[in-house]
Amino acid sequence: MSKLGNVVEAVEKYNQHVLDEVKRARTDEEFGQEMLDRWNDIKGRIKMGAAPTGLKLPRLALPEIDEPGEITRYLLGEGLPGEFPYTAGAYREMYLEPLRELEAGSYGRDGKNGKNGHAKNGSNGKNAAKVAVPKPIEVEEPTRLFSGLGLAEDTNKRFHFLTGHQRSARLSTAFDGPTLYGIDSDAEGVFGKIGEGGLAIDTYEDMIRLYDGFDMGSPAFSASMTISGPAPIIMAMYIAAAKKRFGAKVVPNLRGTIQADIFKEVQAQNETIFPTEASLRFLCDMIEWTSAEMPRWYPVSISGYHIGEAGSTPVQQAAYTVSNGFAYAEMLAARGIPVDQFAPRLSFFLDCGLDVEYIALSRVSRRIWAIGMRDVFGAGPKGQMFKLHTQTSGRSLVAAEFKNNLTRTAAELMLAYMNGTNSCHSNSADEPFTTPSEEWIRLAAHGQAILLDESGIFKHTMNMLSGSPGMKAVERAVEEGMLEEFRQIEAFGGVLPAIEHRYQRSQIQNAAHRYEEQIYNGTRPIIALTKYNDMKDEMPEVKMVRTPKAKKQLQVDRLAKFKKRNAAKAERALDKLTEVVESGKNCFPTLIETVEVCSLGQITGRLQEVVGHFRPMV
Amino acid sequence: MPAPIRVLTAVPICDGHDSAINTINLEFIRHGIEVVYLGYHRYATDMVRAAIQEDVKALGISSYNGGHVEFFSEVARLLKKQGADYIRVFGGGGGTITGKDDVIMRRNGVDKIFFAGTSLGDMVDFVHKNYGGSHKAFRGGKPTADMKLARKLTEIEDAYAGKKAPKKKRAAKSKAKLGKTRVFGFTGPGGAGKTTLIDELVLRLLHREPKARIAILSHDPSVVGAGALLGDRATMINSQNERVFMRSMATRGQAGGLSPATEDCLVLLAESGFDYVIIETVGTGQEAMPFQSGLVQKTVLVMNPDYGSRLQLQKIVMLDLADIVVVNKSDQERARTASSEISRRLDQNKKSQLLVSTVANRHRDPGVDELCDLLTEE
Repeated sequence: MSKLGNVVEAVEKYNQHVLDEVKRARTDEEFGQEMLDRWNDIKGRIKMGAAPTGLKLPRLALPEIDEPGEITRYLLGEGLPGEFPYTAGAYREMYLEPLRELEAGSYGRDGKNGKNGHAKNGSNGKNAAKVAVPKPIEVEEPTRLFSGLGLAEDTNKRFHFLTGHQRSARLSTAFDGPTLYGIDSDAEGVFGKIGEGGLAIDTYEDMIRLYDGFDMGSPAFSASMTISGPAPIIMAMYIAAAKKRFGAKVVPNLRGTIQADIFKEVQAQNETIFPTEASLRFLCDMIEWTSAEMPRWYPVSISGYHIGEAGSTPVQQAAYTVSNGFAYAEMLAARGIPVDQFAPRLSFFLDCGLDVEYIALSRVSRRIWAIGMRDVFGAGPKGQMFKLHTQTSGRSLVAAEFKNNLTRTAAELMLAYMNGTNSCHSNSADEPFTTPSEEWIRLAAHGQAILLDESGIFKHTMNMLSGSPGMKAVERAVEEGMLEEFRQIEAFGGVLPAIEHRYQRSQIQNAAHRYEEQIYNGTRPIIALTKYNDMKDEMPEVKMVRTPKAKKQLQVDRLAKFKKRNAAKAERALDKLTEVVESGKNCFPTLIETVEVCSLGQITGRLQEVVGHFRPMV
Repeated sequence: MPAPIRVLTAVPICDGHDSAINTINLEFIRHGIEVVYLGYHRYATDMVRAAIQEDVKALGISSYNGGHVEFFSEVARLLKKQGADYIRVFGGGGGTITGKDDVIMRRNGVDKIFFAGTSLGDMVDFVHKNYGGSHKAFRGGKPTADMKLARKLTEIEDAYAGKKAPKKKRAAKSKAKLGKTRVFGFTGPGGAGKTTLIDELVLRLLHREPKARIAILSHDPSVVGAGALLGDRATMINSQNERVFMRSMATRGQAGGLSPATEDCLVLLAESGFDYVIIETVGTGQEAMPFQSGLVQKTVLVMNPDYGSRLQLQKIVMLDLADIVVVNKSDQERARTASSEISRRLDQNKKSQLLVSTVANRHRDPGVDELCDLLTEE
């Protein structure tokens, strides 16, 4: 049995445990009283705040229950935000605006600056602050917009444009096709792809240009990089670039995320370049090194987004993503890395579309992850938290009357924040036809600000939209669906054997085909496309963002210069890398040296000679 | 009944977006079209070579990662350069392709771009309407050897799709013409890894013999008059090579692992001066014995260690006939048992059949090296 089978058992056991405790609270008077006291204590600590209209509101909303059994069901089955099993949220206060005055002993922030808008919380509010905090606390915005186009300096300019007005710079980097496949810009037949759909990176010098003007070691800076196949090489370039600019002492301060999710590449996105086993080895080398040397870095973002976009159902998306997460945990634990070293460094990335499952998908994922990590892997609280980035669904957007996409994205943002995502990307309405242009990116970013800052939906009260009867019904159905998927995967012997049998791929492909059929048979109406489509449908003429030929040539020329300059050293560096890879030792430290004199394509090419190419699955 | 329309579909280099093309492939197949699927992340040169060798009516490209104007135009240019622009180009890429792009791409030789929101039915209709009918003759110039060979194979295949099956060619006669050509037949149950094994074998042959030319005849199942997904090329990363001629065939209703036209096609390939001709059956059942023509010099049965009980081995006819039996995926737990059971089964035959264990999807697998030695030794 793989650990996934243990996770299924653990969740079932936990659910039974909740039922047993509910019963006990009703029959065992002492225990019932204990729960009642705890409940009253929690309620007593809840801080009051006020809306701008003067309306008084509690900082945390709780269900109106006073019966010990129901209290137990709530506290154990759902939990308070920031408490096991984290259904309502990984942290206690999430998007709440800071209180201007704090009363002693309240259920509120503890006065310390936390990351991502979340104060470092004491459990159960026991350590709640006794001190008054006079001013709003400066926290990071959850907004993190994906961008990348042209060459490094173009994307750099976009980054400054996006974050100029923000307190913190949270960058999210998209790479072009050649980079995603570990190919250099001078490779055969890729010229047209340079800087399209993301930016071109060939060398660590490009990486220096990319983050120019940002203080890479600052606590207010973090970078996310969406790349998986060649992720360890790109990560090595990031580290080498930071060292070059700020010296070696910057390394422990680097904050950010690299996607590096090999499982979902093989299951859905197809951007992988080495055989799966070798890819996983390079990945584990990287995680082992970064989780020890860069304690603030997230070296893998376990991603369902691409699974969802490739056409899976929401339940499949969450089930494959979370099971992939458990498979990584199993691999890392098998390497002998302590669970509390790696588990807090795992993070997740889900899609959020318009299907009803999204009302509770992240809530259920968070709960299953917490139970599995605690009860199967023995992780502490930080390793139980399912830290989530969400992106609204690109697939849900259509070209026909594309301004409707603003509404689609707004609805998806509501769902994402209702689900307590820790950061979020909102798609631009023009995405169905182009790399988003500045006008529509700005609107997409504003969409989030309108929800979080302007509207009162999320900023006054935690649990504002948690736990409606409908949401609970969806939760139960989604959880059962996910566990059933886990059982199927376990029947193959776990995630890797299921991948080898093409299980996830074929499930995703079947779902994708059904989705398309449903659009055209009317089961899934798409407004302005299959319903209310009486407007004359013309191709919207939107300003296209394309990389000019001269820029593409510039990238090729720069690469040629780099290769020429390092020609003498490159071969030796590659030989050294080969040696380390073949020895079976952790090759990541060597990779950080290799990138100083070798290009991405040179390294990929050499590694493919050593470990082979990825053989596509159909 | 006319022969099904054959098209080739693929996704360009540095692009892994295969959700749309998978869905379109399925829809084409359901509507009687034979789809040769080349896969994603594919070079323009590989697409053009494959389209010519498969002699498809059209090449459908699904592009989502940008650079489509350059890529589609390059494909159309390469086809025209070889005089192979009788193979038409069509495609799409959601909303990333603009009206302006479409104009340029059509000017550069692309027939049709489907925009976002085109229904699957419209695409099927387009293919039926525009790419049905008989094959266009080569126009002017000098057709390349690949083009001529590919067309002859089409003629053979189409003849068998007609009302009256042509008279079979006599394989025995052409046996004399084989010369130095070596013909290998690969068969075995579905999922045993035949395609991967052949691809790894091709890699070794190309490497060991820098001038050798290889032909591959690969089969996928279909029923009479229906479509088929011919997907072997998508996973054969080493066989997309200037020195490899590959042809994918649907069985078009014939049981036993091969198509009605296979034997004639094999005769043609065997006479065409290749150093190696490799033929791969569809995943076969226990009773199959596909290589009866005598043209195949060495037959290889590829087994999955997971064949069930030992009793099952008694029922597999090819275990009596194969020259070499390969237990692939021999890194699986059951492989050792499988090897010893099969070994005993072969001993009963007293025919000096060979048994090899491989892990075809492992880089530089010594088992595949051994298989390559056994096949090529005189």
